[in-house]
Amino acid sequence: MKDQLSALIDGELGIESAEHLIASTKAGGELKQCWAHYHLIGDVMRGEVNNSHSISARVMAALENEPIIFSPNASYIQNTIHSDALEANTSAPSGASTRYAKSYQNIKNNKLWSVAASVAAVMFVGVMVLQLNQAEELAPVEIAQSVPMEYLQAHQAAAPNGAAIYIQNASFSEQKP
Amino acid sequence: MKLFASALFLSLISASCLASDDAWLALQKSAHAARELNYQGVFVYVNGKQTSSVQVTHMNTAGREMMRNVVLDNNPQASSANGNQPREVYSQGSDIVIMQQKNQKTVIEKRRGQNLFPAMLPTDLRSIKASYSANFGAKEYVAGREAQVIDLISNDAFRYSYKIWADAEYGLLLKMTLVDNKNKTLEQIEFTQLSTLNSQDVNWFQPKIDVTKSYEMQNNTAVNQVHSNWIVAELPIGYVKVEHRALAVPGKVMPVDQVIFSDGIGSVSVFVEPLIKGMRPKMGQMSIGSTNVCARVLDGYQVTVVGEVPVLPCLQIAKAVSFKKQTAADK
Repeated sequence: MKDQLSALIDGELGIESAEHLIASTKAGGELKQCWAHYHLIGDVMRGEVNNSHSISARVMAALENEPIIFSPNASYIQNTIHSDALEANTSAPSGASTRYAKSYQNIKNNKLWSVAASVAAVMFVGVMVLQLNQAEELAPVEIAQSVPMEYLQAHQAAAPNGAAIYIQNASFSEQKP
Repeated sequence: MKLFASALFLSLISASCLASDDAWLALQKSAHAARELNYQGVFVYVNGKQTSSVQVTHMNTAGREMMRNVVLDNNPQASSANGNQPREVYSQGSDIVIMQQKNQKTVIEKRRGQNLFPAMLPTDLRSIKASYSANFGAKEYVAGREAQVIDLISNDAFRYSYKIWADAEYGLLLKMTLVDNKNKTLEQIEFTQLSTLNSQDVNWFQPKIDVTKSYEMQNNTAVNQVHSNWIVAELPIGYVKVEHRALAVPGKVMPVDQVIFSDGIGSVSVFVEPLIKGMRPKMGQMSIGSTNVCARVLDGYQVTVVGEVPVLPCLQIAKAVSFKKQTAADK
């Protein structure tokens, strides 16, 4: 469902085959949130969100300059080695040196990931705050929620075939099908 | 006498057309009959959930066409919401005047060049021959007249199909339905009463409105100077541009750009306006009866497409709108 929603937003899925998506998006819940998030992500990627670009650029630049320290946390290593040693007692014995190298690798990866994750989280929250401030007046509204009667009228007034002329007012009262 | 002569002429065409079994000729005859014959009657128009009965009087004297339409009923919901009374429509040649009682006033609106029922078919059928196929159907009775059914079937998904009931003798369009590609009827217009108009008297051609009430001219007229910076790069096949105008819309600061495209019967309007501060952009698609509406936002402009056409051409036209400076930069 989320994949389809993403495809719809990207224009890879025809709107005519997406009625169920639109219906469930309208119904609210998780899919509605996804809808908002995907658009937000799209806006961010296209650089349409004011200021967010400079923030992400600054964060990325700072990240670039920041030395990544690989020195492992001593107590963490102690614990890991300790638990490894316990494990070694119960399972088949193996070389202590390879075990140490492996846990060092794990820690290094964990560290990197957690840095990336926190940067991403900060960026995301920051963007959300900015976006929410703007959204109040700029968020697009579904056409069915806000029928442009002035354009229906203008079309009917100028269309070469004018059968609708006879029920113009009546058809305009039919705003909510 | 005039009626007799034209009836004789038309039945001569009728004889030859049945011989050649050409449904297109029958449609041609129908298109002319609506504009040349003298008749009066009542027709009923149904679109979506809405219905309206209209009394029509049509006369063609010495090549001058006069027509009066009086809407006999009104949707109670609509009238209570808008305070509107039934309207009268007068046309002479291609000029149309619509009069309507509204809040103790008579509102008068002028239009030009619209084809009103039963003159729904273009007199020049060449424009629709490429996009539709015409076939004879059964013979049925409509408003007490024998009618030849002609199916005008869309060749693709870019337009609706039409079913036409033409008077077997005079060719006059008695009934017409608009059908989508699932064979569902979206719109129907048909005579429930019809007779020839034998008098040459034109006293009927004057408004029934209360002249003691004040009147106002409706001000939605087009602004003359039209220069726009956008194009529809690729039109659905069969559609051509028929009009371009800058429209002063009540409640809008800037004039709105309107371009109308038609395939000969169906038509669709594209509206482009700048999204000014505080304006909420609209997007998506919706249907009201046979009318589809699509909206999108492009480079800070609101693009709205409205037409009595299927969803597909509506979306395609909305998607094909682009600004000229962009295409120039691309090249």
